[in-house]
Amino acid sequence: MNRILLLEDLPEIRSWLKALALQVFPNAQVSEAARVHDALALVGAERFDVALVDLGLPDGSGVDVVAALHDTQPEAQSVVVTIHDDDDHLFPALQAGAFGYLLKEQPREHFVEQLQRISQGEPPLSPSIARRVIAYFGAKNKPQPQQQTLPAVSLTERENEVLLWVAKGFTLPEIGVQLNLSRHTIADYVKQIYRKLNVSSRAEAALEAQRLGIFRR
Amino acid sequence: MPRRPARLPNQRHCPPSRIPAWLSCCLLLVSLWGLPGLAIAAVDRPGAAEVLVLNSAVSAVGTLRDTAFPADKPALKVSLPDDWWATRPREDGPVWYRLQFDAPAQDAGLLALFVKRVCSTAEIRLNGHLVHSGGSMKEPMTRQCYRSQLVPLPAGALLPRDNVLDIKVAGHDLQKVSARQRSGGLSELRIGPYALLAEEHEAQAFWGVSLVQTLSIASSAVGLLVLWFGWLNRHEARLIYLGLLTLAWNALSARILVQQLPVDNATVELLVCIGYAVVTALAVQFMLSHAGLRSRPLEAFLTVQCVAVPLSLVLAGQNHLFVGASAWHLLMQFEVIATIGIYLLTYWRSGQRYFWPVAAGLVGLALLVLAEQAGQLKSVYPVRLNVVHFLMPLVLAGLGVHQLLLFVRNLQAAEAARRALEERMAESTADMERNYNQMVEVRVEQVAEKERKRIAGDLHDDLGAKLLTIVHTSESERISSLAREALEEMRLSVKGLTGKPLPVANALADWRAETVLRLGQAGVEADWRSPTEDLTQQLSARAFVQTTRILREAVSNVIKHSGATTCKVRCSLSEHDFLLVIQDNGKGIPMELDGKLDRGHGMASMKHRAKQMQGQCLVESGPGYGTLIRLTLPL
Repeated sequence: MNRILLLEDLPEIRSWLKALALQVFPNAQVSEAARVHDALALVGAERFDVALVDLGLPDGSGVDVVAALHDTQPEAQSVVVTIHDDDDHLFPALQAGAFGYLLKEQPREHFVEQLQRISQGEPPLSPSIARRVIAYFGAKNKPQPQQQTLPAVSLTERENEVLLWVAKGFTLPEIGVQLNLSRHTIADYVKQIYRKLNVSSRAEAALEAQRLGIFRR
Repeated sequence: MPRRPARLPNQRHCPPSRIPAWLSCCLLLVSLWGLPGLAIAAVDRPGAAEVLVLNSAVSAVGTLRDTAFPADKPALKVSLPDDWWATRPREDGPVWYRLQFDAPAQDAGLLALFVKRVCSTAEIRLNGHLVHSGGSMKEPMTRQCYRSQLVPLPAGALLPRDNVLDIKVAGHDLQKVSARQRSGGLSELRIGPYALLAEEHEAQAFWGVSLVQTLSIASSAVGLLVLWFGWLNRHEARLIYLGLLTLAWNALSARILVQQLPVDNATVELLVCIGYAVVTALAVQFMLSHAGLRSRPLEAFLTVQCVAVPLSLVLAGQNHLFVGASAWHLLMQFEVIATIGIYLLTYWRSGQRYFWPVAAGLVGLALLVLAEQAGQLKSVYPVRLNVVHFLMPLVLAGLGVHQLLLFVRNLQAAEAARRALEERMAESTADMERNYNQMVEVRVEQVAEKERKRIAGDLHDDLGAKLLTIVHTSESERISSLAREALEEMRLSVKGLTGKPLPVANALADWRAETVLRLGQAGVEADWRSPTEDLTQQLSARAFVQTTRILREAVSNVIKHSGATTCKVRCSLSEHDFLLVIQDNGKGIPMELDGKLDRGHGMASMKHRAKQMQGQCLVESGPGYGTLIRLTLPL
C-alpha cells in the first residue's frame, strides 16, 4: 500500500484525510486532487492502491472517478468518503465499484479503525444499503425479456442471508455470531455482494448503452 | 307496448313490440270477415221466393228530353245485367229499359224495387208515374255507380198484372271512363217486400260506402300523423311519402263516396288518372326511401309520369280514355309491384324486425293491385264489399302504424344511445379529472422532491462543509462534538423533508444498527429486542425523525452519563401505538433542586418532542437504580 489517491475539495478536510491515510498507511505516497477533472487525469497517469473519493465535488461527482479507476485499475480499492449517509448517494458509488464508504464527520479513531478494516477486506454495510441491494437483485431476478443477454449474476443463499440480517439492523459481528461464522467469512460475503453488485450493474449499463446505440443508428 | 326501465344499459336489444303482429292478425281477421260478405252476396238471400227477379228487358236509346219510353226508336231485347260496353259500345245514353211484371202476391206492406247497380244514374217510371230520380241526368252527371238503389213502389200506382217499368239510364261509354266499374250499365232488378230489400240495400251501403268512409277517415288520421312526424324530421323522407300516399289515396277514394261532383265526367276521370300517377309515385318513393334505394333518375321519371299521364290522355281525346288509362295503369301497377319486390328483398336481407307483417301487408297490396287490373279486363260485378277501397286504407294505416313504431323505436334507441354517450362522457370527464388531479399531485410531488433535493444539496454543501470543517479543525473536543451532532441533526432534518412514510421495519432496522454500533463503540453491552415478525405498519417521516432524535439522545445519555455496562432496548407495536423502552443499569439521573430530573440530560426536549407527536415520554430514574425511558407514540 504505497500509492493513495485523495480526492477532496475542502482543503482542511483534505489535509485531515491525508493525515489519517498516512496514519493507516504510514509509507504511502498521497496524490491529492480537488476536482474530478484532476483526479481523472491522475487515474490516467498513475497507478494507485487505494483511492479516497469524495462524492459531491464542484465539477461533478466522485462516482465517475470510482468508475474510471475500477475500469483501468481493477485491483485498486476505492473508498467513498462523504458527508452523505443516504443510499441514494452511496448506492451508485457502490455500483460503480467502490469497495466501501466512510462518513467524514466521524471521530478520528473510528475513522481510522474503519479505514483499516476496509483495507483489510472488511467493508461496512448499512441496513439501508442492504435493502437497496436486496431490492436490486430482487427486481433483476424477475423474468424480463431483455435480460437474457446479461451474465447470470445472482447472490448465493448465504449472501442473501447475510443481506437480510443486515437489513434488519444487525451488525456484521452479530451476524457472525448468529450464523456461527468467523468475522472474515462474513467480510468475504460482504465483499462478494459488492463485487456482484458492481459486475451486474456494469453489465446492465453496457446493455443499456448498446440498446441506446442501436436506437441511435 | 311494455314500458321499459328508463336506464337499461342496452336498450337496442329490447324485446320487440307486439303491435305489428297484432296488427297483421287484425288485418287478416278483417279480411276473413269481409270475405263471407262477398260469398253471401253471390247467393240469393233467404226469402227469395217472395222476391221477383227481373233479368230481361227491352231497351232503346233515347234522348235527354224523353219522358217516356221512345217507342219510335228501334228496340232491342237485352238480358240483365246489361253492360253497355258489351251490348252497345260507344253509346253514351240515355238508354231506356222497359220491363213488364205482375205484382207478386202481397199479404201486406210496401213493395220495392232494388237496383243493385245503375251507372251513372237513372229515372224510374212505374206505369207512367215517375217513382224515382237518381239525380242529374246531364253533365255534371250524378254518380251512383258504386251504390245500389232502392225504390218504393207505391201501391196506388201498382196494377195486379202487366205493370210496366220504364228505366231511363244516363251513363258513359267505357272509352270515356278510366275504370270499367264506371262505364254505363244496369244490373238485374228485384221486386219484393220493402223491408227485405231495404236490408240488402243497407248492407250494400254499409259495406260499399260507410265502411270505406270510416276506414278512409281512420287511415287519413294515421296518414296525417305520419306526415307530421315526417315534417318534424325531414331526414325521414319515407314518413312524408307514406303520409302523402295515404292522404292521396283517400282523396282518390273519396270520389266513390260523393254522388255529385261540380265538374263533368271527363274532368273527373282525368283527375283520377293524375291521382293514380301521384299515388304510384308516392308508393314507389316511400318503399325505395325506406329501403335506402332512392335514385334521382327514377324520381325524375315518376315526376315526368305524373305530367305525361294527363297530357297523353288529353291528346288521345276523351273517346280513348279507357284504353289510355288502362295502359298507364298497367305500367304503374308494374312499377308498384316491382318496387314491392325490391323493397321486400332489401328488407328481408337487412334482417329487420317486423318483416312478416310488412311482407303480408305489401303482398296483400300487390294482390289488390292485380285484382283491380283483372277487374278491368272483364266486368267484375260490384260485390257487396268494395275490396280495393276497403283494404287499401287498412294496408296504408297498417304501414303507417308500422312506420310510426319504427320511428318511435329508433327514437328510443337514439335516446338510449344519447344517454349511454352522456354516461360515457361523464365517465371520461371524471377519468380526465382524476388523471389531471393525479398528474397535478405527481407534479407537486416532483417539484417538492426537486426542491427537497436542492435544499438537501445546499445544506450538505454549505452548512455541512462548514460543520465538517469545525468538526475536524476545532481544538475543543466539545465544539467538535457539538458540530458533529449538529451535522447529524441536519442530516436527519433533510430526511424529514421528504414527508414520505417509511415501513416500521426499516425504521427499526436503522435504529438498531445505529444504537448497537454506538453502544458497542462505547463499550456498553447492547440488548435490543424488537418484533421479528413481518411488520406492515408505516411510520410518518416526522415520527421517524423525532423518534430517532429521542433514541439518539437517550443512547447518548447512557454512553456519556450513566456509566452503565448494559443497555436494554425493547420495541413493541400494537394496533395504534408504538412503544420504545430504553433501560440501563447505570447510576441514574440525579434530581435537581426543584425535584425535576436533570435538564442537562435533554429530558425536557425528549418529552417535548414526544408531546409534539401526541405521544409521551416517561423517565423513571433513581440514584443506583439506572434509568428507564418509556416512549409511547400513536401510529
